[in-house]
Amino acid sequence: MTGPFSPHIPVAATLTAKRDLTSDTALFTLSAGRDAAGFLSTFVPGQFVQLSVPGGGEIPISPAEPPSAGMIRLCVRRVGHVTGLLHRLPAGSPLGIRGPFGRGFPVDEMAGHPVLLLAGGLGIAPLRSLISHLMAYREKFGEITLMYGAREPSVMLFRDELVELAGRGLIRLYLTVDFAPEDQVGGYSCARGLLPDLLEGFRFDAANSYAAVCGPPPLYRCLTADLEQAGVHPSRVLLSLERRMRCGIGRCCHCAIGQKLCCTDGPVFRLSELKDIPEAL
Amino acid sequence: MATMFLKESLLGEFLETLRLFGELAGPTLSVQGVTVLAPVTDPSLLLLDYKRTQIPPKKYLLPFREKVISFSKGGYHNGGDEPARTVLFAIHPCDLEGIAYLDRVFLADPADPGYARRRSGLTLVGISCEPDDFCFCSGTGEAAPCDLFLNRAEGGFEVTLSTARGEEIAAAARGCLTAFDSASKGKKSPLPPLRKGGDVVPAVRPQGLKRATLVPGSVDPELRFSGHPLWEEFARRCVGCGACSVCCPTCYCFDLREYPELTGGHRRMREWDNCLFKNHGEVAGGNFRPERLDRLRYRFLHKFCGFSPLEGMSSCVGCGRCRQFCPVDIDLRELLPEEGS
Amino acid sequence: MNRPRLAIAGLTACSGCQLMLLNCEGELPEIVERFEIVHFPMGESGSDPLDRYDVAIVEGAVSTPKDHQTLFRLRNASRTLIALGTCALFGGVAAMNNGTWDRGEALREVYGEGAGEIDSFRPAALGSFVTVDFAVTGCPPEKSEILELLSALLAGTLPPLPSYPVCLECRSRENLCLLLERDDLCLGPVTRGGCNARCPATGIACEGCRGPVEEANVAQELELLLERRFSKEEIVRRMSRFKAEWDYGQRR
Repeated sequence: MTGPFSPHIPVAATLTAKRDLTSDTALFTLSAGRDAAGFLSTFVPGQFVQLSVPGGGEIPISPAEPPSAGMIRLCVRRVGHVTGLLHRLPAGSPLGIRGPFGRGFPVDEMAGHPVLLLAGGLGIAPLRSLISHLMAYREKFGEITLMYGAREPSVMLFRDELVELAGRGLIRLYLTVDFAPEDQVGGYSCARGLLPDLLEGFRFDAANSYAAVCGPPPLYRCLTADLEQAGVHPSRVLLSLERRMRCGIGRCCHCAIGQKLCCTDGPVFRLSELKDIPEAL
Repeated sequence: MATMFLKESLLGEFLETLRLFGELAGPTLSVQGVTVLAPVTDPSLLLLDYKRTQIPPKKYLLPFREKVISFSKGGYHNGGDEPARTVLFAIHPCDLEGIAYLDRVFLADPADPGYARRRSGLTLVGISCEPDDFCFCSGTGEAAPCDLFLNRAEGGFEVTLSTARGEEIAAAARGCLTAFDSASKGKKSPLPPLRKGGDVVPAVRPQGLKRATLVPGSVDPELRFSGHPLWEEFARRCVGCGACSVCCPTCYCFDLREYPELTGGHRRMREWDNCLFKNHGEVAGGNFRPERLDRLRYRFLHKFCGFSPLEGMSSCVGCGRCRQFCPVDIDLRELLPEEGS
Repeated sequence: MNRPRLAIAGLTACSGCQLMLLNCEGELPEIVERFEIVHFPMGESGSDPLDRYDVAIVEGAVSTPKDHQTLFRLRNASRTLIALGTCALFGGVAAMNNGTWDRGEALREVYGEGAGEIDSFRPAALGSFVTVDFAVTGCPPEKSEILELLSALLAGTLPPLPSYPVCLECRSRENLCLLLERDDLCLGPVTRGGCNARCPATGIACEGCRGPVEEANVAQELELLLERRFSKEEIVRRMSRFKAEWDYGQRR
């Protein structure tokens, strides 16, 4: 479809490539064409798009890197009907995109500050687009630290590129896994343990830092307390939340968090905004 | 805003004029004996003294099931049709307030295309009413939002014109409208008195249960976690039928569901959803509102406290439907603090 | 085009669900063109028992060793197994007396002297024996649901069938509430919708033919019906008609 961008009707996109990252997670590259390049370029890291898989339906996904020239990359795990269908599609299949929607990370405000990124499991995907942004404007930001925890070495995503960024001195990288075969612990340059353990021993300029957290819900509950205790101001603790976003534009009312709507007020929230909302974390 | 007078005897003629502005629909009795808004074939079947329709006027703006998108030949297309022009006749102030609330939700930028199309084809003619035991509205200080309002008066109706379309209708119906002699009636207010007797009508339950009063816009969101014993009681009793939400003039939750077709394309349907159903908060691998109690809290919060960007705004218009149609007598307003406490 | 290989079979049931599929007359040519129907004893004769299928659609409850054998064969031969109708999903009418009648006694009552030769057991849903990938409920299912199922299978997915109670569609259709207004023994609140409240729309109380809705508040429904002066015995008899074992204390 050509013409002006509509938040209601998906723009046609084509699946151009699929790269398997683990047994159930892949990085999908979509081309939405030149017409879509304009509105896709408004993307702010942390925002999401509604991906339409014809016949299956729509799912909200936060792109794994900022779209460029109408190309968009989505990291998707096979968990339900729609994602299952997506994983079976051959290259060249038609897809659809609505968005980008919601509020992303306040990247302008973060400039000039150290940034601590905390990712659990698939939560690395939305943070990867933030990392891309930080790398593109590296000199604007202070020290950048990524702590990334995965279940086991084999499901750790984007490890090679993260290690490379660390090797070039662009970020400080801490990888950790919950479980690992003995012989793999050292070889994968990762510790064994949970993210809160990593954070506990970490010394950083907390009072001046921004922290961005993305991962499964239980992760938020422990990490937010730890970050606050370390001295990061709650308004600088940024959390990317997941809810059942259907319409993406604040209408269908499935994604409310307290009185906020995850799709329009989020998905990136400041901890200070969520403090009085018991059901948020 | 101008006021005119419509004599009871000229109502039939007035209704015929209304037909010039679209298909005329109003409160009638269905074959089963349910009060419904339906096309008016015979004006003598109109129920001018009705209490409430089972389904509010929202059905004219948000159909129960609607195709929003179709997919064929590799692309997505708008699924909507051009809606018919409709004149809704004899709508109560509470339901007009309900439409005004839906307008805030669906006409906000970016306006919902289907809603906006249907809304622009809709002409609203309001009518004053007498509350019954189920009603818990408070008389608003403002005029009910509609094109034209009929206020019951002796021998006919005071007619208030609020919009350009209202003026247009009045011009077309000038044969049956006369100038309203406000001086002789001893008042000048163009605002229709919506309710008799004060601003809050006490909620008197048929079973004589205690009353609760709705104070729009000032409900404390923390009340959803109050220690009120009724929370557990409601969660125990609620059968999850969804009637309260289906029949609510301001409930608009919807789901988008995709239906493939044999021939290869598919259609995406927008269907009424309901926060009391288990799958409302479900995502692949989890549920954000697994218990019925979580869902009742969600409903309470949305209804009385509002979601962004209408946070702080109650959307309860006091029509009394949830109360009348609940099979187990759940009235969430009983969770609000009692008046004066 | 790749045509999915389809098996359609019936166990202990009235064949009404399969008949509903055959009733999709307008769409049958399309269905036959897009699917390879390799096994469909009710619709055609002859089939190869060694066949493999992409999808097996199975109607009916399991109540005989032959049912049992057929079900396992279909399960083993298919990628996707779909329960079609209330019997396949909940046991249905065949199982209605499971809770109240001893099987041997029932057989003697019906078949008298010949009862000993009948080899059968308490009818049960497919899910009691094999993994069921998807189910379309109904006695019989709606035609539209069968078409939605087949269309979704072609698209490589499954349809978004309703999980809400009958009341949702009943109220939205502006039917008279038979439970509240007429004090009928209506099972709408605990019954899965999708039928567009077919019966209440004609003034007949919901019989519960589509089986229990998820999280049915059975205890409250029971209270509501007892308040309306129905006996517990009558309520249980009615509720068992399409699903034998309810937990009458269940609230969620």
